[in-house]
Amino acid sequence: MRRLSRLCVVLTLLAIAGCSGGPSSPTTGSPCDGKVDGQVTITAWYHGSTTSAADVTGAEMAKQVDEFNKSQTSVTVNLVGQAEADYGTTVKAASASGGLPDLLDFDGPNLYNYAWSKDLVPLDSCINPQVRADLTTPNVDQGTYAGKLYGVGYYEGSMGMFARRSVLEKNGIRIPTGPKDAWTADEFTAALQKLQTAGFAHPLDLKMNYGIGEWYTFGFSPVIQSAGADLIDRSTYQTATGTLNSDAAVKALTTVQSWFKAGYVDPNDDDAAFVTGRTPISWVGPWVYLAYSKKVGDDLALVPLPDFGHGMKTGNGGWMWGITKEAKDPDAVAAYINWMLSPERALQWPDSGGQGSPVKSVAGQSKLYGPGGALNLITQCLDGGYTVTRPQTPAYPTITSQFANAFKAITDGADVKQTLTSAASAIDRDIEDNDGYPVPQS
Amino acid sequence: MRLRTPIQGSRLARRPSESGAFALVAPAIALLIGFLVIPFLLAIGLSLTNQRLVSPLPLRYVGLDNYERILADPRFWHALANNVTFAVIVPTAQTVLGLGLALMVNQQLRGISIFRTIYFAPVVMVLAVVSVVWRLLFAQSGMINAGIGAVTGGSFQPNWLHDPTLAFPAVMIMSIWQNVGFPMILLLAGLQAIPGELYEAARVDGANGRQIFVHITLPGLRNTLIFVLTISMITSFQLFDQPYVMTGGGPQDATTTLMLLMVQVGFAEQRIGQASAIAFVFFVLVLALAVIARRFGPRMTEES
Amino acid sequence: MAMGRSRRRIWALAVRYGLLLVVAAVFVVPLLVMFVGSVKPDLDVLAESNSLKAFRPSQIENNYADAFATSQFGRLLVNSLIVSGSVVVLGTFVNSMAGYALAWVPFKGRRLLLGVVVALVIVPFQAVAIPLLLIASKVQIVDTYVIQILPFIASPFFIYLFYSFFLGLPRELFEASRIDGAGVVRAYTSIALPLIKPAIATSAILSFLAIWGGLFWPVMVTRSVEVRPVTVGLSQVAGTLPTHWGDIMAMSVAISAPILIVFLVFQPAFIRSIASSGLKG
Repeated sequence: MRRLSRLCVVLTLLAIAGCSGGPSSPTTGSPCDGKVDGQVTITAWYHGSTTSAADVTGAEMAKQVDEFNKSQTSVTVNLVGQAEADYGTTVKAASASGGLPDLLDFDGPNLYNYAWSKDLVPLDSCINPQVRADLTTPNVDQGTYAGKLYGVGYYEGSMGMFARRSVLEKNGIRIPTGPKDAWTADEFTAALQKLQTAGFAHPLDLKMNYGIGEWYTFGFSPVIQSAGADLIDRSTYQTATGTLNSDAAVKALTTVQSWFKAGYVDPNDDDAAFVTGRTPISWVGPWVYLAYSKKVGDDLALVPLPDFGHGMKTGNGGWMWGITKEAKDPDAVAAYINWMLSPERALQWPDSGGQGSPVKSVAGQSKLYGPGGALNLITQCLDGGYTVTRPQTPAYPTITSQFANAFKAITDGADVKQTLTSAASAIDRDIEDNDGYPVPQS
Repeated sequence: MRLRTPIQGSRLARRPSESGAFALVAPAIALLIGFLVIPFLLAIGLSLTNQRLVSPLPLRYVGLDNYERILADPRFWHALANNVTFAVIVPTAQTVLGLGLALMVNQQLRGISIFRTIYFAPVVMVLAVVSVVWRLLFAQSGMINAGIGAVTGGSFQPNWLHDPTLAFPAVMIMSIWQNVGFPMILLLAGLQAIPGELYEAARVDGANGRQIFVHITLPGLRNTLIFVLTISMITSFQLFDQPYVMTGGGPQDATTTLMLLMVQVGFAEQRIGQASAIAFVFFVLVLALAVIARRFGPRMTEES
Repeated sequence: MAMGRSRRRIWALAVRYGLLLVVAAVFVVPLLVMFVGSVKPDLDVLAESNSLKAFRPSQIENNYADAFATSQFGRLLVNSLIVSGSVVVLGTFVNSMAGYALAWVPFKGRRLLLGVVVALVIVPFQAVAIPLLLIASKVQIVDTYVIQILPFIASPFFIYLFYSFFLGLPRELFEASRIDGAGVVRAYTSIALPLIKPAIATSAILSFLAIWGGLFWPVMVTRSVEVRPVTVGLSQVAGTLPTHWGDIMAMSVAISAPILIVFLVFQPAFIRSIASSGLKG
């Protein structure tokens, strides 16, 4: 009886849910054959608005799409902006119910999960070999799952702290010049205290207003990595317990918590803590550079994140493009990707969006990222191995959700050890539930 | 009047009424089955499996695992406690304040309909909009703290939506603000339906304002009050939109509710099976509550 | 004596109006902040929200143009109107028909059906959202108007509302028509419908507001600008970093204004109908 009912349940559900992934493309062999089949219109999603001046990256992308559409006749890209706040949900809902675009824009570390779920197809046969050879190492790292390339970043992100040089100098705070001489955590804490005494009620902006989401993981996992811990044990990718809640991680995040307890951190509800001069230090990525430099001018300095004991660490990677299982003609999508990553296009990202270059050949040419450029520190970090790629595992969505929530709770005053331990065990349980995320046979 | 003998009439009408009734209820039944009953049964079925939102792994029957897990999850109990808190405090506050407002706008004063309109206006506002505006008001350097500062001299300046003890009260305050106009209007109609002679008789007997309120107004509003409370409890239990837009359930799950947890487990964590189990437990809980309320509580109408 | 009395009366009146005004401020201030914010530069909106400047912009900026461009607002407005309007019109018929039959037409299984409807009132939409999404993808109606309309037409809550409203009408009306041999359906259209205008108005208003303000379901089922509603547009503007408070407030006004205007125009009828339908419960 029990068996029978069990069978019924499974059969019914299989009928409804089992093949719910929408039309899947025939992925026998390689997705690309090297030629576009006649006239093709492809849909591309972007995580934001493509029609607003407020969204710099979106506006840049819309401009480039427009140029691409005019540059040739066989492929037309239809760029659709989606609300960034709900972007992950939109993609997952589309993946579960059909309706993914041909070209998907996604935050880099989700790639492993999307590839594992077969939402994306491998790009190895699609990307022009020259373009592929030109991709930066962090870009290839982030885009690779199970030995295949599933996505390419269209810019290279990282992090540091923007500071008002004059304020630091006035208060006798040393200004680090490169990743090697980053402030130690203690030095940084002392600097914050000095600034608070000097009259800055909340001298540090951590962009807490970005809210629970990828920022908390991207922005603050380097804290525990710099302390010698990590989000997950990368030797097996099977457990976070013992790594995420290790003493080193607890100690580092206790330091961060102490900044909140001392009131050093501005809640930044108006997203203007730094530009209004309320906080002289802002822990953030290069995407704010254009806005900051417009306001602060030459007084703007970029310094590395603090060193929590095992050398300064910062993040890398960013948003990427991938070709989905629903792409009608992957070659048409690839044509666009190849065009966008050609050196002259790739150079647009650093200079109009403030982000790093996704390809090697132009990395040094950027006014901002090249030698002597305002953002050259980031180039030093990327080239010098100071950046850590986010964990390359299909468990990443769970990892980031758990870490982001834990980080928020810690900043709100929760017990650090306990919070990290429960986050670690939630991650472990997710991995277990998914049979360890076995690499799919293809 | 075109009445015929009742007995003959009803016998004649029975057959056509059956098919006519079917025509009337068929669209509703079909839509309810298709868009509520079947999906809900499916959700119950999924709650017995390891269904994920998107996964290459095979679907497995897992028995009651999902139920064991949610019952062992502190977030579940936390969310349930929030649901109960909200469903007790907000409907009560809304009804009491709604009654107060109804009494205020029931005065015979020039321009009173303007006030009626103003008090009701938030009801027609879109919740996402209201939540965005209140996020601004509740900001640390926002208007509410400025108001509190002006009164207390600045000693109490909390960061409402980021403070685990204050975030949920903030959500409740906003919810009451937005919806209190609705009970107000219903109770206003209730007030106006109480026959004026009752008040006059009471006044002749020398009753004071308080006595009139307790012995005439309140009993006269009994049915409306029960109606208002019931409706607002049903909607309160399904609380989702306000914390979804204002706080996302945080800080530290302080504003999470069962519906929010369900969406979080189902989408952010992709555990459809477990999310479905939460949905079913929620349904059973509210159903049990409704049955208990029906058995022991006051009746909504004589018919039911 | 007479003078003292009239003075006391004036004072009493002043107190009454004063109280009314203070309470009115509680309801108006947030709306005012929104309206004024919509014409302020982004940074001023929050920076000035803790002083009287919140109500008087020190600098005027037109945020509407950018907010509309961000979301292609005109298109979204049309979508929202189509979806909300369809749900209201179809829902009014479907739910009132069912409510009428449950109240006044004897048929087999009526009690059972009534019980099921009451039980379904407590099934929250989120509970069925995921299976519904999977079904919608099976029949390929994702990213259409249809999937935004169909699930919300039949509503146990409104069926119950109509049912209890009909019960409140005099029994003779319907007995007469039935005995008269007029078809049940004709009795519904010619006798029942005209009598329940208040209930229709209530259900129409409440369901319109619910659909117009809905965000959760559209996020899951809409992918393109051709079908998505205004609330998704707001979410798009609100989610663009750095936070453009001015744009957000402009968008908020644009979403609220149509309803507020309709509400102000029809205000007396609006409030009366809600009030009278509630009484029947």
